[in-house]
Amino acid sequence: MSSSPDQVRRILGRVKRAEFVGRSAELERLISNALSAQAGRDAAGLLVLLAPLAGVSELLRQTYDELFNAQGDVAPIYFSLPASETTAVSAAIEFLNAFLAQYIAFRRNEPAIAQASLTINNLLELAPVADLDWIEELVNAYKKQRFSDNDRELVRFCFNAPRRVPATNPKPYILFDAVKLANYDNEQVSLASEIIRALAGSQSFVLAGLRREIIREVEGAGVDYGKLEKVRLEPLNEADARRLVASVARREGVSISDESRDLLAQQFEASPFLIGAMVQAAREKHLALDSYFDCERLYVDELLGGRLNHYFTSQLENVAPDPVDRRALIRVLSESLPAGQRTATFAAWTRRLNLEPVEVERILRSLHVQEIVNWDGETVDTQRGSSPWRDFVRSRFRLDALREPRALVVADLMSTALKRAPQAVARHYRRSASLPLRDVLQKFNFQRVPNVLFDYSAFAADFKGAPTEEVVAQLEIDQQTMKLPQVFHTAYAVAFSSELKQFDEESCVVAHAFAGAGYTDENEVVWLAAKIESKLEVETDVVEAWCNRLENLALRSGFLRIQLWLIANEGFSAEARERLRARGAYTSSRAQFELLSAQLSESVNKSTAAANDEFVFILPMGADNELLAAATAEQIARRLNFRPEAINQIKTAIVEACINASEHSLSPDQKIYQRFRVEDDKLVITISSRGILPANVEASTGASGAAKGTADDLDQRRGWGLKLIKTLMDEVEFERVDEGTSLRMVKYLRS
Amino acid sequence: MIGWEAQTKVYATKRNTQLADFKSNVRSHTVGTTAVVYASDYLNKLTGERIERECKKQLDSGARALVIDFSDTELVNSIGISILLGIIDIAEKSGALVVFSDVNNETVQLFEMLGLTRHVVLAKDEEDALTTVSGNSKAMGH
Repeated sequence: MSSSPDQVRRILGRVKRAEFVGRSAELERLISNALSAQAGRDAAGLLVLLAPLAGVSELLRQTYDELFNAQGDVAPIYFSLPASETTAVSAAIEFLNAFLAQYIAFRRNEPAIAQASLTINNLLELAPVADLDWIEELVNAYKKQRFSDNDRELVRFCFNAPRRVPATNPKPYILFDAVKLANYDNEQVSLASEIIRALAGSQSFVLAGLRREIIREVEGAGVDYGKLEKVRLEPLNEADARRLVASVARREGVSISDESRDLLAQQFEASPFLIGAMVQAAREKHLALDSYFDCERLYVDELLGGRLNHYFTSQLENVAPDPVDRRALIRVLSESLPAGQRTATFAAWTRRLNLEPVEVERILRSLHVQEIVNWDGETVDTQRGSSPWRDFVRSRFRLDALREPRALVVADLMSTALKRAPQAVARHYRRSASLPLRDVLQKFNFQRVPNVLFDYSAFAADFKGAPTEEVVAQLEIDQQTMKLPQVFHTAYAVAFSSELKQFDEESCVVAHAFAGAGYTDENEVVWLAAKIESKLEVETDVVEAWCNRLENLALRSGFLRIQLWLIANEGFSAEARERLRARGAYTSSRAQFELLSAQLSESVNKSTAAANDEFVFILPMGADNELLAAATAEQIARRLNFRPEAINQIKTAIVEACINASEHSLSPDQKIYQRFRVEDDKLVITISSRGILPANVEASTGASGAAKGTADDLDQRRGWGLKLIKTLMDEVEFERVDEGTSLRMVKYLRS
Repeated sequence: MIGWEAQTKVYATKRNTQLADFKSNVRSHTVGTTAVVYASDYLNKLTGERIERECKKQLDSGARALVIDFSDTELVNSIGISILLGIIDIAEKSGALVVFSDVNNETVQLFEMLGLTRHVVLAKDEEDALTTVSGNSKAMGH
């Protein structure tokens, strides 16, 4: 249904479709949801969960334009909660007005009506004959409702107006921008609940808002959050952010250099709103953005008195309407910006703000929604926030609390911004060219990779100087593999230790993980990974210093089990390698790291590409059904030309795995799930079941994995199944599953 | 106490024909004081227990040797093997010899992995098994 970008008539969209950067997938999702809703195909409402400053209004406007231009059975209605409207009632009336105007505009296919400033009576006059009856009825009912004293009823009436559209008419599809919802927190009528309930009743809507707020409000309104579709909007990626800056500058007629483009994309952290505000300010002031100097001068102006100032000030005013409270809040926020001072208790905030706890709670809730702080009810963790936000808070503090001369604050801010600009861009260039350490660690998810990727000595001995293709080919057949842990949390190490501030933030990462199939204390491990900048092999003193640094961090943070991993472009000297081996550290050169990174990316792609070579069967437990599984495996193994003896081994292993799954799992669905995947040189079989993790399996998922021996009593003999499997197959491991077991077995063709 | 020969005669008159136990569906027959029990195509818990019952019955009836024939057996699982080990225990306590006959190579490997072959004699086929039993009896002086 999507029109080509050139064909779309612009109605509410502020940019041409061709200039709409970085959100194409999301646009498709919204349109698809609208069409499903109209067709009544299992459609649920859709939530757009927004990271602060990620920007959503243009996405909704573009969706509107697509649907309007299609003139199909979906009538789009876009509504954005006004920032300036202060009551729920006025917002609701505004909604009713927008709904009628846009519905009539759609029916008449006259876009101008959608944005015209019209009274209810004007709209009645414009209503098409086919819609006159129900619109007239709606308007009359509204007039009666308006003069009643019941605000809640009026709000409810307005938001439910789209449900009065006759079933034979095009169905209204509401695109509701609720980013400003927090501005209505003080209302007697819970605006959020009324909006959400009304929308949920129609099942044909998009509700967009700050992710923390929307989740809380949807649950608070008693709507089943799980049933709603969700789209998560993060800030644009770096490439899209640069495209956006260039596109906005072109549209606004502002001259901008490539360097300034990259700077703005970095400095405003890919926020469409902040980038747009800055470039529009340049247009209004007839300024070019051809140098860092141009950019930072305008930035300081904007931050202390322009759009940026207005935006951050309104944000603060909404959080703390009283000027005295606001001043105290700025002081607390400013003092919480430096690393090491970001965490404080609720009691400390209450004392510093000198407010009643209930008021502090309200402020913290609001800051939490804006992701300026993380607040769990007790501890308040102040986020770093965007760079402009930090500059704003610091400068307000100096101006309002310290009463420093404005000229001095302006000069300092300008100086800081200019000094910071090249660093920010350099950091970006380094990041683009450097190893994405944190990204790679985040991909660790029990994959098997060659040991040699973590052992620089072995890698240097086997592969130094070899062409990459040859190395890759050798690694593919390398049987010495290790299983990566499953990483569940990563953070830059500077978040744990301010000592590491002296290094590039991204050079050192702490990754919390589980190394075995069970989520147990024994399996928990923290990887401490550091990337050392060096053009030569790194020497002993440097690696010793890094190991000490990381071990100190582990000690102070109470990490019980750690794994050190050092990465250096050209690897490590012989003596350094020995020291690292003695400390149990893994070592990788840049080449090893890149190979690992490629393997992990491939494994993600492979899992989707593998679908064609994958067979999945579900069998009920019992009745010798393991024989069916064995027969299936036999057929598949024959296709792969396994030897008869190997086929028999596979069959026996499958039978044992099925018996294990049936006997020990207390499975609630009494099913055995089998997956057979054919890979180049092997057959990978996974047998899983739901239920509990049996004790013998739990024990075997640890380091040893050995089954019980040939003891005499029957119970012990029952442990033979696992032992048999391990003997018959080439690789056997229990995969991490939330419940029950999942046994992965591999048989190589050569075996 | 009656001698081996006499005992064999008494036993043979009781069970001198090949019989099929329809309840357990285990095929068996006797040759002298040797019971030959046939394992089915899949030796698992159910079929293992049937064999076990049949073997106990044969031992209770005076069998002095058990030949378990695996000529039809394609697949064996670990529970089946653990039951076989139980049968070996019982036979040992009764002073009876156990011989496995016609076991395919894959199953022999499994038996070896789990230590069964330390407790039983393997024979090429039933005839070979009966010869082994007979030789063993003579060696024991029965």
